[in-house]
Amino acid sequence: MKGKVFFIIVIVAIFFACRNSSNKESQFVFPDADSVPVSEAEKLSPEAIADISKNISSPVEIANLLQTMNVPFSQNYLASSIDANKQSTSFDKSLKLGILGADLGYLNMYERTGSSLEVLSSIRKLAEDIKVGQFFDFESIRRLSQNKSNLDSLLFISIDSYSKIDNYLRSNKRGQFSSLMIIGVWLEAQYLATQVVKEYPDKMLSDRIGEQKIILNDLLLLINPYCNRDPEFTGLCKDLQDIKDKYRDVRITFTQGEPVSTEKNGGLVITQTETSNVEMTKEQLDGIIEITKNIRDKLILNN
Amino acid sequence: MKKLIIILSVLLTTGILSFGQASDVLRSGCVMSAGSNAKFLKDFRIELGKAGTKADFRYKANMSLWKNTKYRFSLCNAENSKGELVLTIKDNANKVILSSFDKEGKIYPFVDFVCNKSGIYQLNFDFLDGQQGSGVGVVSMIR
Repeated sequence: MKGKVFFIIVIVAIFFACRNSSNKESQFVFPDADSVPVSEAEKLSPEAIADISKNISSPVEIANLLQTMNVPFSQNYLASSIDANKQSTSFDKSLKLGILGADLGYLNMYERTGSSLEVLSSIRKLAEDIKVGQFFDFESIRRLSQNKSNLDSLLFISIDSYSKIDNYLRSNKRGQFSSLMIIGVWLEAQYLATQVVKEYPDKMLSDRIGEQKIILNDLLLLINPYCNRDPEFTGLCKDLQDIKDKYRDVRITFTQGEPVSTEKNGGLVITQTETSNVEMTKEQLDGIIEITKNIRDKLILNN
Repeated sequence: MKKLIIILSVLLTTGILSFGQASDVLRSGCVMSAGSNAKFLKDFRIELGKAGTKADFRYKANMSLWKNTKYRFSLCNAENSKGELVLTIKDNANKVILSSFDKEGKIYPFVDFVCNKSGIYQLNFDFLDGQQGSGVGVVSMIR
């Protein structure tokens, strides 16, 4: 009898263990609160945190938007002052790996292959220093960078390398470095968008900046478990909270509508008629531009 | 085709295929099937057994989608897959805004989504009728 009970317990335990690992049944929760309690962040499962990391918008999407606006490439937006050899802590290395990853996406989209090789060399050094160099396919990226016709392949390999690093860090209890990398990517993309909008005012771009309010809670959820870890993390948590504070009065409203579908070239095309609208004053935008620049510059100059 | 060859060459030279991971061929093929005007953003590898009972879609992932952007969701199946990979997308109000199949049973290999509402959306993948299957869902951005 005891044997049977033990057998049933083992089967039930295996069933639930497998269910958690293979089927992603995480609850869909839309972040709407103005603050994220630390206790809530601590309760998040590794799957939920991995899911949050996928939410963060890609710098490639920002670069694509800039190209749509016909904004010319500028070297000035890049974090050129980062010296990979002078980053002393894993905190600095991980954060800068993210920042340079965003720069690489921007360079790739604008097909600036010469500069991307320089950035790539810094990325390689930082990745090797935090023992994730094996996931970054440097040789393939370098080779593809030299041939402009391979942009799609280049984007695929670059994004895939960062995804592998993210997965590896999370599954090896080094999630804090993955969170730093993701925050670095977001911050640099946000810096790029805010600097461009200052120079080339555009409603679509300023709306995209305002819409970042939607994922700011997620960024805080990623970093909150580590806020009391050491002064570097505490400082970054405060920086992100300062950015969030600047978004407090930015409003995002929605209008209702039903999607419209048509068939085209064997596929389906769905056009969403529901819309989101950003209500943000010039002063609010200026505040976001300023705080983003201050924090980003402080972090990249801190070599 | 040229791009597929390039990607496959890269995977071969870096030794990825030397471990016999057919899944990577499926993945890279699916990325390239999105078309020359598509920019890769993310991919999801889906491998599911046969569902015990008819239930909701089993593989769920959240992703932020942004206004004024046209996304392409490409769905690819492994050769040994018993069912066809399908996708639905729900918004933050849990409303289905996109489905890759219709009520008559027609399944589309890709769906273009013209996003006009920025937000975090839930991507739901499964194999039709809860079948066992293996596939890849690729998200790209198109102009």
